[in-house]
Amino acid sequence: MLKSQLDYLLKVRLPITAFVVAVAYFVTFFISRPERDSVGYAPEQPINFSHKLHSGNMQIDCKYCHIGVEKGRFATIPSTDICMNCHTIARKDRPEILKLAQFFADEKPLRWKRIHRLADFAYFNHAVHVNKGIDCKHCHGEIDKMDKVQQVQRFTMGACLDCHRNAHQRLPELKDKINNGPDFCGACHR
Amino acid sequence: MDKKIWKSLDELKFPVKSQINKQIEFQDSVKEEFDPNQLTGISRRKFLAISAASFALTTVACTNYRDKGEIVPYNQKPENVLPGKSNFYASTCTGCSNHCGILIKTREGRPIKVDGNPDHPVNKGKICATAQASILNLFNPERYKKPLKNNNGKWEEIEFLAAFSSLLGAINKAATEGKEIAIISKPIFSPSFAKILNDFKTKFPNTKIYTYDFLEPYPKQRAWMDFYPNQNPKDLDFSKAKIIVSLESNFLANEGNFVRNISDFVKNRDVNSPQNFSRFYSFESDLTLTGANADYRIPLHPSQYTYLLGTLINEIINSNKLLVNNFPLEQLRSKFSIFKLNEFVKENNIELKLIKRLVDDLLANQGSSIIIAGDSLNYEAHLLTYLLNEILGNSANYRPKALPVLSKSSLEEFSILSNSIQNGTVGLIINLDCNPIYHLPKDLGFQNNFKKVSDVFSFLESENETAHYSTTIIPISHNFESWGDYYDGIAVYSLAQPVIEPLYGTYQKESIILALVEGKMRNDNYHKYLKEFWEKEIFSKANTGVTFEQFWFSVLHNGVFVSSTTKTEKLVPDFSKVQNINISKGQKSWTMVLKKPYFLADGRFINNPWLLEIPHPITKVTWDNYLAISEKDANALKLISGDLVEIVYNGKKFEVPIFIVPGIAEKTLTIEAGFGQNNVGTIGSNVGFNPLVLFTKKELETGYVLSNISINKLDRKYKLASTVEHHSLNDTFVKDLHKSRHIIQEGTLESYKNGKFQVHRIKEKMSIIPEIKYTGIKWAMVIDLNKCVGCGACITACNVENNVPVVGKDQVIRGREMQWIRIDTYFSGSPENPEISLQPMLCQHCDDAPCENVCPVVATNHSPDGLNQMVYNRCVGTRYCSNNCPYKVRRFNFFDFRNHFANGFFYQDSLKLLNNPEVTVRSRGVMEKCTFCIQRITDARHTALAEGRELKGSEVKTACQEACPANAIIFGDMNDKNSEVSYWRNHQLGYFVLEELNIKPNVTYIAKLRNKLQEDKA
Repeated sequence: MLKSQLDYLLKVRLPITAFVVAVAYFVTFFISRPERDSVGYAPEQPINFSHKLHSGNMQIDCKYCHIGVEKGRFATIPSTDICMNCHTIARKDRPEILKLAQFFADEKPLRWKRIHRLADFAYFNHAVHVNKGIDCKHCHGEIDKMDKVQQVQRFTMGACLDCHRNAHQRLPELKDKINNGPDFCGACHR
Repeated sequence: MDKKIWKSLDELKFPVKSQINKQIEFQDSVKEEFDPNQLTGISRRKFLAISAASFALTTVACTNYRDKGEIVPYNQKPENVLPGKSNFYASTCTGCSNHCGILIKTREGRPIKVDGNPDHPVNKGKICATAQASILNLFNPERYKKPLKNNNGKWEEIEFLAAFSSLLGAINKAATEGKEIAIISKPIFSPSFAKILNDFKTKFPNTKIYTYDFLEPYPKQRAWMDFYPNQNPKDLDFSKAKIIVSLESNFLANEGNFVRNISDFVKNRDVNSPQNFSRFYSFESDLTLTGANADYRIPLHPSQYTYLLGTLINEIINSNKLLVNNFPLEQLRSKFSIFKLNEFVKENNIELKLIKRLVDDLLANQGSSIIIAGDSLNYEAHLLTYLLNEILGNSANYRPKALPVLSKSSLEEFSILSNSIQNGTVGLIINLDCNPIYHLPKDLGFQNNFKKVSDVFSFLESENETAHYSTTIIPISHNFESWGDYYDGIAVYSLAQPVIEPLYGTYQKESIILALVEGKMRNDNYHKYLKEFWEKEIFSKANTGVTFEQFWFSVLHNGVFVSSTTKTEKLVPDFSKVQNINISKGQKSWTMVLKKPYFLADGRFINNPWLLEIPHPITKVTWDNYLAISEKDANALKLISGDLVEIVYNGKKFEVPIFIVPGIAEKTLTIEAGFGQNNVGTIGSNVGFNPLVLFTKKELETGYVLSNISINKLDRKYKLASTVEHHSLNDTFVKDLHKSRHIIQEGTLESYKNGKFQVHRIKEKMSIIPEIKYTGIKWAMVIDLNKCVGCGACITACNVENNVPVVGKDQVIRGREMQWIRIDTYFSGSPENPEISLQPMLCQHCDDAPCENVCPVVATNHSPDGLNQMVYNRCVGTRYCSNNCPYKVRRFNFFDFRNHFANGFFYQDSLKLLNNPEVTVRSRGVMEKCTFCIQRITDARHTALAEGRELKGSEVKTACQEACPANAIIFGDMNDKNSEVSYWRNHQLGYFVLEELNIKPNVTYIAKLRNKLQEDKA
C-alpha cells in the first residue's frame, strides 16, 4: 500500500506537478516579457504631444528640443519655454496649446510620464552615441511616426551589448566610422 | 632597514596576540551578542503564506507595465544649466579665519562637492578635510528651519517676521532704557558686514561688539604686539626655510593657514632637487602630525620651552657667528647666561650633540630658518621665539597674515560684559553664530548670566549649547546659501556667493542685521548692499577701465580680487620687553595640554559624522577624544588604554578615558578641545569629553597648559574606537621577516645624494598568469611619501565624491569602517620616541589582482585600461575577495549603513541631496573599494569623444589627488612615456608595497627621505 502510494507520487504526481510548474513559468516568462522590459509602454502624457506632427510632418530636428543630446548624458526633455518659442504665435487657439500656455503662465513644470528608463546602476551617455553619428531611431524607434511615444527596444544590458559587440552588423551605415563599443563593466557601471 | 616596525604599542608588546588578530577574519567584538532569541519570531506557516502572497503579487505585477515615474523639466531653463553637467561656482569658505577660496561643484542646482579655488592666493586650490566635509552641514536635516521662541523652557515655532519684530522691539526697548546691546560674534573679516555693524552702532549707540576666536590664542598675539609694537601679526613662509624648528606647534595640521603651510613645507621635500631639502626639528609634548613629519622629533615637557629657547639663544649669541647685530648683545648675554646647555640636556634627557647640531644648523642658515612656537605655549615662549627669529635674521621669512576688520576682543572685555550683565545694565544679547557658553571660560559665569538678560537672540544654523541659553533662536543660512565678502587686511578681497536657494527659507545674518539698521526686512537686501558697497569702496582700488558691472561679475567668477597695493613693511623689533620678562627654567609637574582638534575647527563641526569618523591622524581613534599619555607614565600610574581617570585641577574635576600614545613627553597629558558638547544634534551630542571645564580666564590668557594637576584612576572603562590595527597587512607567513617585506622603505637624504640608498625592488619575477598587454591608456597612481603629511583631506574628499557611508562608532569598533583610502601609521624605534611613517593605502588595482580570481560571480574583474573594476549589481557578498586582498582595502556593506547609522540619519530627505549622482549608492551585502574615480575617468573620456580627440591621461584628476594640499598624489597614464606618472613610476625611489607577491600593483610609492645624518638613523 505504502509502496504503491509512494510509487504513484513519484511516478505520476511529481512529474505532472513539475511539468505544470515549468510550463506555467515559461509561458508567463515569455508572455509577460514585453511588459517586464517595457516594450510597447505608451503612458498618457499631461499634454497630447505628437512627435509625428512635429518631427515627422514638420521635420523639426530632434536637437531643437532635446538640447542636451550632443552635450551631455541626458538628451533632456525640453523646458516649457522651448515649446513657447513657437507657440506664443503658432496655433495659440488649440486646446492642448492652451493647456501648455497655462502651465507656462503659472510657472509650473510639465510633469511628463517617463517612458525610457535604464537601471539606476547603468550610466548611459547620449552625447557619446549621438556624436558618433548613431541615429536616435536605433534605440527609440521610429519616433517621427508616433502620435504617442512608446518604447520600442528593450533597454536591457543584452540589448546594449548586442550593438556594442556587433556594431557593424547593427549599424551598417556607420561601418567606416565606428568600431565596436566598450564592453567592460566599468564603461557603464560605477 | 633592519629595524623593528610596529603599528601600535599592542603589536610591539604582544606580537603573538597581534599576529592572531591579523589572521582572523573578524574583529573580536563582531562575534559577541548574536542571540537567536532576538530574531523575529515568524513561524514557518506565516513565512510560507507571505511567500505565496508575494509570489501572487509578483505575477499580477508582471501583467502590466511598471510605472517609471516622471520627468520634470524646467519651466524656464536657467542659462548655463544642463542636466548631467556640473557647474562650478567660486566662493569663500567660512569654517575658520583663513577664509580659503573654494570652488563649489553643483549638479542641477545643488552643491555636491567642494574643492579649493586654484586662483585664490590664500590656499592655491587646496582645502582641508573640514572644508571638504562642510557640505554636509548645508544638508544637515537638523538645521533650524523656523525661528524658535523659548516659552518657559518649551520651544515654540514662530514666523520669521514675528521673530524679527520682537528682536526690533527688544533693541528699541534696550535703547530707550539706556541698556547695553551686546553682540557676540566671531572676528569679522567682512568689510561690508563690519560697515553694517558700525551703522548699527551709530543707530543704537548702546551697542557693544564682542568677538572671540577660540582657535587664536591670546599669548601669541600679545607677545607679537609687545615685540613688534604697532605692527600687524604675521604668518611664516615655510617655503623659504632651510631649517625649521617647531616648538609644540602643529602647523601642518591645524595651526594658522595650515593648508598653505603644507604646500609651502613640501616645496622643500622634492626628491628631484635634494639640494633644497629642508631639515625639520620638532620639539613637542604631544605626538602630532607635524612631529610625525619631522626629521628629528624630540619629546619635551610643556614647561621646558622657555628653558629650551633660553638655552638656544644663549648658545647662539655666544657663538660670535651672528650676521645681524641690531640688538643689545651684552644685555641679552647677561639675561640668558643662566641657561646652560649642559644642564638643559641633562635635565631633559636629550642628546647633547643633537642640540649642538641644531645650533650649528641655525647659525649656518641665518636668514633662511624658521622657529615657530605652538599656540598652546605661553607669552614668554612666544616672545623668545620672535627674539630668536630676529637674532637669526629670519624676519624676511614672515608672510602676511589675514587680519579681521573688527578685531578680537580680549577676555578682559568679556569679563566686563559679565559684570555688566550682573549689574543689570545689559538689555539684550545678540549671538551671531557662535557658541560662547561652550567656549568662554567657565569662571566668567556666562551660563548663569545669560539667564539674567531678558532677551537673548541667537542667530544659528543648528543647535549648540548657547541655543539653550537663548530666549529666541533665529535660523540663518549656510555659507553656501549666502552672499559675503572677506578682506584679509592687506590685499585679498574674496567674494562668497550663494549656490542654492536657502533650503528652509532662512536669511543670512548680515541680511538680518542690515534689516535691523534699515528698520524693515527686504528680500535680497544684503546682496544689493554688498554690490553697492563694492562699487563705492572697492571698485576704485581695481583701477581698471571696465565698468563696475563687468568688474563685479569678473570678481564673482574668479572668487577673488587682489588689489595691487601691497606694502612691504620692515619689521622693527622692540627688545626692551625681553629685558623685562621673567624667564624661569620651568618645573616638570604633571601637566595637561589642551590641543586643537584636527577636524572640528573650534568644535562647530561636531555634528558632522564624516569628520567624526576620520581616524585621528596618529592614534586612529574615531568618534572620541581622549587623554594621551606616555607608556612609561601609564605604567607608573597602573593605567591601560581605555581606563577612565579623573583629572583634578584647582578643585575642578574632569572625567576622561586615557589612551597610551608612543612618543608623548614625560608627565604630560594631552587632550583635544572641541569635543564633549551637549545638545548639538543627534550625531554630535555627548561625543567625547570637554576639557574646557577645567580652564578659567587666567589659563586661557596664558596658554593652553594646566600644570600641577592630579590624576585619579577610576574603576571604570570606556571603549575607544581606534582603527590602528584594523586592516593590517598580514605578516604571519613570513614570521619575523616582516622587516624584509619592505612595506615602508625609507632612507636618509645623505645616502640618497651619494647614491648609497637603493629601494628594495624584486627584479626577477615569474608568474603563472600569462602577461596581458595594455595597448591604450593604462591608469596608475604615484604617492610621494616625501610629500604626504597625513592630513586626511584625501579621506574626506573620497568620502564626498564616492558616497562612502558613515558607519558609526559601534561599527568602527567591529572593524567595519568604510573609507576607501586610509592612512596607515607605522612606528619604528623605541616607544619613548619613535620614528613615524605614514602611508596612504588604497586599492592598488593590481594587474594580477588576487581578488579577481576568487570571485565566484566575476563581480570584480579587469578593464582594458588597467582598472580593477567592482560591479555592485553583480556582487553577491561572499567576501572572498576581501579575504584574498593582501592590502586589505576592500570594504563590505555589512548593513545598509545609510539606514543602520543613527536610525537612518542619511535617509532623511535633505541628505539624499548630498549624494554624488555619478556614483551608485551601495546597499547591504555589497563589496566596494577604491575605483580610481572611474566616474571622472569616464567623464573625461566622454568629453574627449564628444570633441573627437584622444583622451590624455593627464586630463583625469582623482578626488584624493585634487584635494591633496601637498600634491603627493599623481595620477595618469603610465603608457604615456611623457606623463608625470610614468616618470615617477620609473624613478629610482619608486617601489611597490608587497612586490614579492608579484601581483603587479599599479600604485607606486616614492620612498621617504629623512634629512637626518646617517649616524642618527634609528
